[in-house]
Amino acid sequence: MKFFLTTGRTIDQGVALEGQKLGRENIKACAICEFDKDDFAKLDCMIGTPVKVTTKFGEVVVYSQISEQGPHPGIIFIPMGPWANAVINSETYGTGMPSYKGTEAEVEVVKSGRILTALEIIKSYK
Amino acid sequence: MKKFKNFEDVVCPFCGTLCDDLKIILEDNKIIEVDNACAIGTAKFFSSNVSEHRYTKPMMRNNDKLEKVTWDEALNKAAELLANAKRPLSYGWSSTECDAQRKAVELMEICGGVLDNTASVCHGPSLLAIQDVGCPTSTLGEYKNRADLVLFWGSNPVHAHPRHMSRYSDFIRGYFRVDGHLDRTIIVVDPRTTHTAQMADMHIRLNPGEDYELFNAIRAMCRGVELDVKEVAGVPIKQIKELVEILKSCKFGVLFFGLGLTMSKGKHRNVDAGISLIRELNEHTKFNLTPMRGHYNVSGANIVFTWTTGYPYSIDFSRDYPRYNPGEFSAVDILKRNDFDVTLIVASDPASNFPKDAVINMLKKPLISVEPHKTPTSEMADIILPPAIAGIECEGTAYRMDKVPIRLRKVKNAPEDCMADYEIIEKLIEKVKELKGE
Repeated sequence: MKFFLTTGRTIDQGVALEGQKLGRENIKACAICEFDKDDFAKLDCMIGTPVKVTTKFGEVVVYSQISEQGPHPGIIFIPMGPWANAVINSETYGTGMPSYKGTEAEVEVVKSGRILTALEIIKSYK
Repeated sequence: MKKFKNFEDVVCPFCGTLCDDLKIILEDNKIIEVDNACAIGTAKFFSSNVSEHRYTKPMMRNNDKLEKVTWDEALNKAAELLANAKRPLSYGWSSTECDAQRKAVELMEICGGVLDNTASVCHGPSLLAIQDVGCPTSTLGEYKNRADLVLFWGSNPVHAHPRHMSRYSDFIRGYFRVDGHLDRTIIVVDPRTTHTAQMADMHIRLNPGEDYELFNAIRAMCRGVELDVKEVAGVPIKQIKELVEILKSCKFGVLFFGLGLTMSKGKHRNVDAGISLIRELNEHTKFNLTPMRGHYNVSGANIVFTWTTGYPYSIDFSRDYPRYNPGEFSAVDILKRNDFDVTLIVASDPASNFPKDAVINMLKKPLISVEPHKTPTSEMADIILPPAIAGIECEGTAYRMDKVPIRLRKVKNAPEDCMADYEIIEKLIEKVKELKGE
């Protein structure tokens, strides 16, 4: 399914970044993809099933969730962090600011994918 | 016997709201209670207690493993890397106090490096827009006392600035807003029905990335132009008309805008359009705007860099005088172009917050991290210099999102011999000068 990916802050992400960036808290807060309720029904999976989000710029496996901050049909939301940053458009168009919001993304249910920790993602870049 | 200490009116060093009414209780040198702060502020104070997540000694990478070293060893190696670098990049600086930021300018000037703060991936585009078209603004106290219309555009304070609405913009009673929430109209413009939107009197759900179109449609309709379309940016014309009437008829309006504008397509042009709308609304009523700044002292970083170099962020010293060009000297672009040889990261975690291709390049070169907690950036660094946390373990000045300077307080001692950020940078400056024979 095709979606419009946006990223941003959440309060859980804020709490997790205070001294718990390498822990489970950060994964629970940021390694998630929030779907609109009706869009999620079309995915035909249980809440929490891993989904692979693929864009022109990369791919990442995160847990699926129904958004509390909906409706937002056609939009998926991944809180800011290494998981979101693996798939966003880094082009700054001469402003210094990458395009953190507004990347076209394809989502597929992967059922058994492993979700990497923040450090595992960054280590995979070295 | 256990010693308890109470502190009142402590300033929270987390977000740009800089709440200054926190109560902190200490048992010996450990924070055991935080009152009045939001969930994030509370977590920040508790995170200062010594734990497995906190560095207490400098560390250096040896055979791919981080090992504890003395301050002298770590500082000498860091100074050596900086002194021998052709084009060091220093990034971060928004979650620390102004003295450290002032020292940052001095250090990068000596090294001929590039200096950037987190504004470049936050409200940098807003600064570009403000330089283009100005900024009719005011302090948060004025908004609290006067504003009867509060417009949040691309901003979700419930999550990003959790106490903003209760201290300044919605629930608080003000001099002319005696009934608080009941005396204000809250409008949220956002593609998602965010928690802020769920509490608002009106939610405009626009198509993502079409803020520019909507701003200009509102501007046109404010001037009385009839638009020959059924909707703009997914918003029905009828709703825009209703919005225009509300905007024009308020007594004192304020636009708080967030990263929904600066990170979406159009970036600074979105903010340009927003400021132009506010300028036009001032022909009908009184209207101001304030960017919702994220890090508690990112405003301070912009102010300190501006009064020392003339520019707020993305500054290059390679020609011995400061040059400014976001898109060229901004951290993400420098990293993407591989146009650096050492990075000095202070109070920030770009490995988590920068896009993948910028991080890949950052990890190819030596990395120095001044950071109290374990983060993906510090764990990948070659040298870690653990500081005292500004606003908790040392004093300093920070600028609130409305550019009001507030003095941060010290409530506890830093673990072991952790120094304040400015002391660490001061020592680096001394050592770099020595190595360069200055």
